[in-house]
Amino acid sequence: MYQLGNRARPRRRSRRLVSFPSWFVTFAVWAAAAGCQKHVEVAPKAERAIPASGSAVSARPDSASDDGQWTMPAKDFENTRFSSLEQISTGNVKQLRLVWTRSTGVKRGHEAAPLAVGDSLFVVTPYPNHLLAFDLKAPGSAPKWEYVPETNPAAQGVACCDVVNRGAAYWDGRVYFNTLDAQTVAVDATSGRELWRVKLGEVNRGETMTMAPLVVKGQVLVGNSGGEMGVRGWLTALDAATGKINWRAWSTGPDADVLIGPDFKPFYQSERGQDLGVSTWPVEQWKIGGGNVWGFVSYDPTLDLIYYGTANPGPWNPQGRPGANKWTAGIFARRPDDGRAVWFYQWNPHDVFDHDGINENVLFDMTFGAQQRRVLAHADRNGYLYILDRVSGEVLSATPFGPITSSRGVDLKTGELQLVSEMIPQLGRVTRNICPAAPGAKDWQPMAFSPKTGLLYIPHQNLCMDEEGLEANYIAGTPYVGAAVRYRPGPGGNLGVLSAWDPARAAARWTLKEPFPVWSGALATAGGLVFYGTMDGWFKAVDANDGHLLWKFKTDSGVISQPITYRGPDGKQYIALLDGVGGWAGAAVAANLDARDQSAANGFVYPMADLKNATKRGGAVYVFALP
Amino acid sequence: MERLIFALFLVIIAAAAGCRREQRRFSEAPEASELHPDPLHAAQRDQQNLERYAKDAWAISEGQRLYGQMNCAGCHGHGGGGGMAPPLMDSQWLYGSGLRDIERTILSGSARGMPAFKDRLTRQQVWQLVGYVRSLSGNAPSSAAPVRDDHMSVRPPPSRTDPEPPTQQVD
Amino acid sequence: MDPYSALDPAGTPAALSLRLFYGYLDVSAVVFTLVIAALGFALGRPRQPAADYQEASPAIERSKSRAVVWATVATVLTLLGLLIASVATGHAMALLPAEPPVRVQVISHKWWWEFRYPVSGSATQFSTAYELHIPVARPIQLELVATDVIHSFWVPSLSGKRDAIPGKHNVLFLQADRPGRYEGQCAEFCGTQHANMRFLVVAERPDQFVAWRDHQLASPPPPSDPLRQRGLEVFMNSRCSSCHAIAGTDAFATVGPDLTHLGARRRLAMGTLENDSTHLSHWIEDPQAAKPGVQMPSTPLSPEDRHALVAYLEGLK
Repeated sequence: MYQLGNRARPRRRSRRLVSFPSWFVTFAVWAAAAGCQKHVEVAPKAERAIPASGSAVSARPDSASDDGQWTMPAKDFENTRFSSLEQISTGNVKQLRLVWTRSTGVKRGHEAAPLAVGDSLFVVTPYPNHLLAFDLKAPGSAPKWEYVPETNPAAQGVACCDVVNRGAAYWDGRVYFNTLDAQTVAVDATSGRELWRVKLGEVNRGETMTMAPLVVKGQVLVGNSGGEMGVRGWLTALDAATGKINWRAWSTGPDADVLIGPDFKPFYQSERGQDLGVSTWPVEQWKIGGGNVWGFVSYDPTLDLIYYGTANPGPWNPQGRPGANKWTAGIFARRPDDGRAVWFYQWNPHDVFDHDGINENVLFDMTFGAQQRRVLAHADRNGYLYILDRVSGEVLSATPFGPITSSRGVDLKTGELQLVSEMIPQLGRVTRNICPAAPGAKDWQPMAFSPKTGLLYIPHQNLCMDEEGLEANYIAGTPYVGAAVRYRPGPGGNLGVLSAWDPARAAARWTLKEPFPVWSGALATAGGLVFYGTMDGWFKAVDANDGHLLWKFKTDSGVISQPITYRGPDGKQYIALLDGVGGWAGAAVAANLDARDQSAANGFVYPMADLKNATKRGGAVYVFALP
Repeated sequence: MERLIFALFLVIIAAAAGCRREQRRFSEAPEASELHPDPLHAAQRDQQNLERYAKDAWAISEGQRLYGQMNCAGCHGHGGGGGMAPPLMDSQWLYGSGLRDIERTILSGSARGMPAFKDRLTRQQVWQLVGYVRSLSGNAPSSAAPVRDDHMSVRPPPSRTDPEPPTQQVD
Repeated sequence: MDPYSALDPAGTPAALSLRLFYGYLDVSAVVFTLVIAALGFALGRPRQPAADYQEASPAIERSKSRAVVWATVATVLTLLGLLIASVATGHAMALLPAEPPVRVQVISHKWWWEFRYPVSGSATQFSTAYELHIPVARPIQLELVATDVIHSFWVPSLSGKRDAIPGKHNVLFLQADRPGRYEGQCAEFCGTQHANMRFLVVAERPDQFVAWRDHQLASPPPPSDPLRQRGLEVFMNSRCSSCHAIAGTDAFATVGPDLTHLGARRRLAMGTLENDSTHLSHWIEDPQAAKPGVQMPSTPLSPEDRHALVAYLEGLK
């Protein structure tokens, strides 16, 4: 019937209009496209507690009248960074001029706030952490003395985010500050003599200290850094006169370590239980769990409560540490006398994005609903501006202040952040377009609050990221991260923002865009001004009401420090600032890193590739005044 | 004609067999370990091993594995761009760019905070890492340098990176 | 009872799969016999001489066609039957279990198996290697994860193969119907030591399983005698703690298997070595001799240090 061998006839092609293979291919392509994840819209949406109409922000509680000094890192216990000095005002600020400038001798990131006490100005430099004192009465404010602490240079290799120091605190004739190798020092303010120096951590285990201490009721409160190195976090209180350790509150572990006892009354159910600092971790993992305390501490003298945040759990990769990972990425309220915890709220339970909870908590009073409430405002890494009742720890509102794709909002009934599960980083997969990126919508850079305008002035950034989860291996003294990240600008293309936020309306009144993240702190004055600095070296003064740029000055290096203002010995108002680009955001310049590797410095080098053209390393004190 | 092709085929096979691009040395001879040091020949032997490993594709790929597992990537960046520690992919070498210099830096650490890995890695693992570190700046032979891997692509692979001549003397 | 044979199933999925296998085998045997018989008949029947060849009559042609048609119909029906059987078996094997399963995460590395047991209701979990303990008569849900290349999880006595693919989470259900030890094997070529990447499934009574699990969660007590204390020092100060974790110590590394209860494991090196002091000592001295290419390097130690280390590790029951 059939013949093998040469065939005379050629094969017949299919006569149908659409042959089977092409139909199949079309179908397959359609099916694949339909199965693709939709591009997630970047639209801020969240649960909002709409305040009742007529709510207003009232002036902060009556505290000591402004004496024109700057003795605490954040100006006052409430962390307002507001000065009631008004000699420099919107009317005359354009005449503001440089009075004197001096190099600090260090060319890394300068994040500190200078201190203005009596006739002296005190500045802590980045590592090697010299303490410089300037005599404001002398011509050109000549240096008075320089204190050089004995330090271990190996600390430089385990500092995650440049060798910064966020400043000193003054109390009772002494200046207190931390060194990178985890020592706390007390120096006599007049002579510069070291009074005591206490070693609190182990550089070999990756432990460092960078935060600015706060002195409360005769105790120096300090915390450690090292969440990227598997270091267990703590807050320690040292006796201000002797340096003896009075108490230490760990951020993970059994209740006895965390100083949780019968006084502990958290508002939300999820924070209640026995030894949650152990049971919300896999076996033993809390010992390398992070929860460091490297941000600013606030204090309410009326309630006698200190407030501070704990940092990210370690490692970044969440796969190996199921559970809520208490007590990381949250805020503690404690009694300063013995450190016992009164309440806790976790901003980011089982944090998966390196959203530390250490951002500052600004205390003020506010009408909410029909009542006057004692609140704190906190702009978290996760992109929400929280208003918490600082008596009980209840979340009154949580509103996005930047683009967010990583979560859907905060459930005000349970207090829980609602994560978008597709955005959680996975081992062996790249999760894309996570907003905000690991540095968050706002990192450590502190905001200011003006009781005159009722606004919060928030310096922050606009970044999104791609992240791939990797196996995280713990070796003491080496990074414990488990992720490769790559950042890009968020919607709008600008990396930096300064927002003026109205807590009463839970919305921004005005925003200013900047090409680089605004990594400096903000300063608000009664003269109606807000001061901040940019990473490409502009120190700016804007109108506190509408954000108009009124004055700017070009420094020789980028600005990431905290500007202050004080009344000098001659009665004039001065503004003081440090320059010197660096920090995590400026590591590309400060440490001369290579932007060809998009993951360098845990992602922060690549979007900042232009910074090398915009500024160079430096480090100096700048002081301004009206002519 | 067929015989010619067959002969050519044999020659190519023989040539390929001599290629040592990916020779796997799973363990080194005992005298290469520091338990049985032989100072007279130690330096020469180590240099030989370093050079051998720096040209070997398998050794460099093991170095790549160790670079991630031993957390080198955490400080020096996944692609060698730096972070807590200086970049490895550029032409600046703070402690020397020679194979022995890199080996010494990995073993002893540095005063500025690089941990010492002498007690954390074997000598052979360090040689594998040295080969990989050199490849990050494009200084590995193209037959041995790592190619594109399965991770998020943060930089062109070393096999596609132009060599950055070190600004210091190369061994 | 052969612990490594797919022909001796100890659990439902394996039993279903074996039943299908026998079904196919029987049908194939019958078909094979028929085809060989037909072939034999066709080859062996007497031939007509060529000269006597004549065109077949239409009747014979018709009967030939009918035979072809019937054979085709029979083939199609047989194949259809086999297909239905296969789909039905696959469906039965993939059915979600009626009762909540015991969940275990199986993480495959080159060339070892890690088993991570979450404890429901809390964040606690522990990690072990080589031995996968399961309670009998309960469905087990395995989440298969691969960290580097594609591996495949295969316990012939309990279930078929399921790949572990990097970036993907595959799920496999299995169930052991009787207690015992069942050997498992990596079934996807993954490199030099693929052939030696074995594991052991230990199916035990539920109370024994709970006891084992609670024991795994507990940290071993610190060593009391000087030899084992020296061993712990050696462990922490030499390369061991860069890759291995032991609960209760400062070693938390995850590159290599968790060694917290190493002394209680039945075998070492993924089943290639007996678990006793001699073999452990040889293994630490030169793993490349036993398993060339494995990621653990030869760790140079003095004989005294090695002796102390082995004593410490063997005491981690």
